[in-house]
Amino acid sequence: MDTPAQEISYYILFGNYTQGLALQALLKQEGLTARIAPTPRNLEGSQPCGMSLLVKQEDIDAVRACIEKHGAEYLRIVEAVNQIRPGRNRFC
Amino acid sequence: MNYAIGIDIGSTSTKTAVLNEAGEPVALFVQPTGWSSIDTAEAVREKLAEAGYDPALWPVVATGYGRISVPYADKTLTEITCHARGAMKLHDSGDLTVVDIGGQDTKIIQVRDGQTTDFIMNDKCSAGTGRFLEVMANTMGMRPDDMCDLAAKGGGVSISSMCTVFAESEVISLIGRGESKENIAFAVVDSIVKKVASQAGRLQLGDGLVCLTGGLCQCEYIVQALGKALKTDIVASENGRYAGAIGAATFALNVRKKVAQ
Amino acid sequence: MADYLEMWKNLGMDVETHDQLCQVLPTAFGDVYLSQENRPEAMGFWDFVVSEIHGIRPSELIAAQKNGQKVFGTFCVYVPDEVVIAANGIVTGLCGGSQFWVPGGEKVLPKSTCPLIKASVGARLDRTCPFFRIADMYVGETTCDGKKKAWEILGQDVPMHIMDIPQMKREKDIQKWAEEIADFAKVVEEFTGNKITVESLNAAIHTINEKRKAMARVYAATKGANLPISGKDRLLMTQIAFFDDPTRCAEMCNKLADELDQRNKDGVSVFPVGTKRILLTGTPLAIPNWKLHHIIETSGAAVVCEEMCTGTRYFENLVDETQTTLEGQFMALSQRYMKNNCACFTPNTGRIDDIVRLAKEYNVDGVIDVNLKFCCLYDTEGYTVEKAMKEAGIPVLGIETDYTDTDAEQLRTRIGAFIELLK
Repeated sequence: MDTPAQEISYYILFGNYTQGLALQALLKQEGLTARIAPTPRNLEGSQPCGMSLLVKQEDIDAVRACIEKHGAEYLRIVEAVNQIRPGRNRFC
Repeated sequence: MNYAIGIDIGSTSTKTAVLNEAGEPVALFVQPTGWSSIDTAEAVREKLAEAGYDPALWPVVATGYGRISVPYADKTLTEITCHARGAMKLHDSGDLTVVDIGGQDTKIIQVRDGQTTDFIMNDKCSAGTGRFLEVMANTMGMRPDDMCDLAAKGGGVSISSMCTVFAESEVISLIGRGESKENIAFAVVDSIVKKVASQAGRLQLGDGLVCLTGGLCQCEYIVQALGKALKTDIVASENGRYAGAIGAATFALNVRKKVAQ
Repeated sequence: MADYLEMWKNLGMDVETHDQLCQVLPTAFGDVYLSQENRPEAMGFWDFVVSEIHGIRPSELIAAQKNGQKVFGTFCVYVPDEVVIAANGIVTGLCGGSQFWVPGGEKVLPKSTCPLIKASVGARLDRTCPFFRIADMYVGETTCDGKKKAWEILGQDVPMHIMDIPQMKREKDIQKWAEEIADFAKVVEEFTGNKITVESLNAAIHTINEKRKAMARVYAATKGANLPISGKDRLLMTQIAFFDDPTRCAEMCNKLADELDQRNKDGVSVFPVGTKRILLTGTPLAIPNWKLHHIIETSGAAVVCEEMCTGTRYFENLVDETQTTLEGQFMALSQRYMKNNCACFTPNTGRIDDIVRLAKEYNVDGVIDVNLKFCCLYDTEGYTVEKAMKEAGIPVLGIETDYTDTDAEQLRTRIGAFIELLK
């Protein structure tokens, strides 16, 4: 089956990509991983395409702590359920 | 006694085969796939459990279009690999060409020394498939099997369009012209045979056995007509429609059951 | 996030229709790319470019135009970027890899035109691609009948220069292509107002050679048993190379190659041991066409190389950097570009040799020959490819597909069965 039940991931949204790249660099310094991702529209509301940071469920607490500690700029953190489905067969 | 289960969820019907540890079929059954292959998989599970072959206990290999919809399968394989394996078992040969006319696609599979070496599958188009026959039979208000039998008695008419939609309107105009049912049935079956034969033209048939599997293999007329078109004798087994399921079950004999969750 | 709406409106784009693409792209990219584990860190650059795909590079191009630079949109790997760069121009790829643009093309082109051409024309006429709004001039070539006639339709809307590609590879054909390049150079000089000199052309040749070498390093990383990068990640790098600044592209590719070399040393692979190795050959896969790579790589195999315009044809063979006259340089360019083996040539035995060579170099288990629907040239050549592979004892599967999702399950069955039969 392509979708294991209820896979949760987190997207950190930003006001601009400078903020996003800065936070990614910061997280890397702290040994945390976050991948750059185009923001899925269903999470973003009416905003046009743009980058966000994708964080795995097991890392989100540490990432939140790191953001807090450094006062890093971001817009909001959105929880996504089963957002990534390799078996969906929807290409573009 | 140990068992192994193969489930072939095709676009039209779902075939299930249970083999004993000697590899002999102990149960074969078929049911319509319906709208949801997930529901079908559940129905198959219940049926198996009732018959005493609980899929929670025995290894299951799923194949066919719905193969990913069988949550209790231990392994999935494509129907091409399973049909080849099933046909080898049904015909007790490792060198053969398998022509499988399925619900929505037709496959021609070459097997040499017990291995699949090449295959051809039709494009996303139902010309030359079981669906084509089904649509035409519906148009004429008869069952596909009856249409097959009727075709043997007809002749002299042909359908030029390969496209199911256009061919259907050709059939309707043939009916309107007062053409006999036998002759129209002949034209429909002849169109399938020609399409399958032209597909097979891309493969070297070689000296090995050519066999027909899939839902249409019980129609003697198709077996004969296809043999004539391919200039070779074609064999069909009584259990030919179960080839995919039997192949899957054969693979399941060597699959270890996953630990129940 | 980054607000490109104003820029798109200023470019005269149909932002409402374009938004449909913005809606589906992130989901498709997530399913195809972000579902992968342990990707090279350096892929972050390309993830970023996709995240800002119609924003960040277009805004750079617009800034360059404000500084007086001209942007040339090109469609084919035979058009020499070097000539444009030597006149301080910029080359960009154009949109053409999504079903999103196809209906727009079908308004003016026959349905039986290949999806790449339909999408390109649709992207321009529907005003849904920023690159097609930005470019000052478009450079077409005569690599197939569909394109030749499409340029006439596109030419009614935009300024076009057409390069006449030879159909054979005799000495006089190479000479002829050198002359076409010289003519193109004159057009570029006139259009940019900048003179092309031996020095500027040599510098441009060097720049593009460095980009080719960097890309070749990334490809070389999957020649061994260890696979430090997936085929789809490598494909993304190649697809974006058509749009990026060549110097930055080389820098990023080299950075990625460094990481891949290290991964190979450390034995870090993104596929389990024993994963079947596939060489893809055939028609180009323009961004965001990721369907085949995704299906193959979620069916138990890895794409280790592409013998495609979006693959080895883009970077193999370098241009001689030692020429001291423009005439000599144009000839050197022609000699390099004419080494590309496109199905538009007859005979095209060089492509068969390339496929057999690459199959060995990359130690592949099987070859998948891909044809974009209605590409008569590659479709017909498929017969020769399959025959040659059978003679060489390399399993081969021919696939015809387009940009739609509708054949995905069928492709999964075909490709899955092919992978199952590889020993």
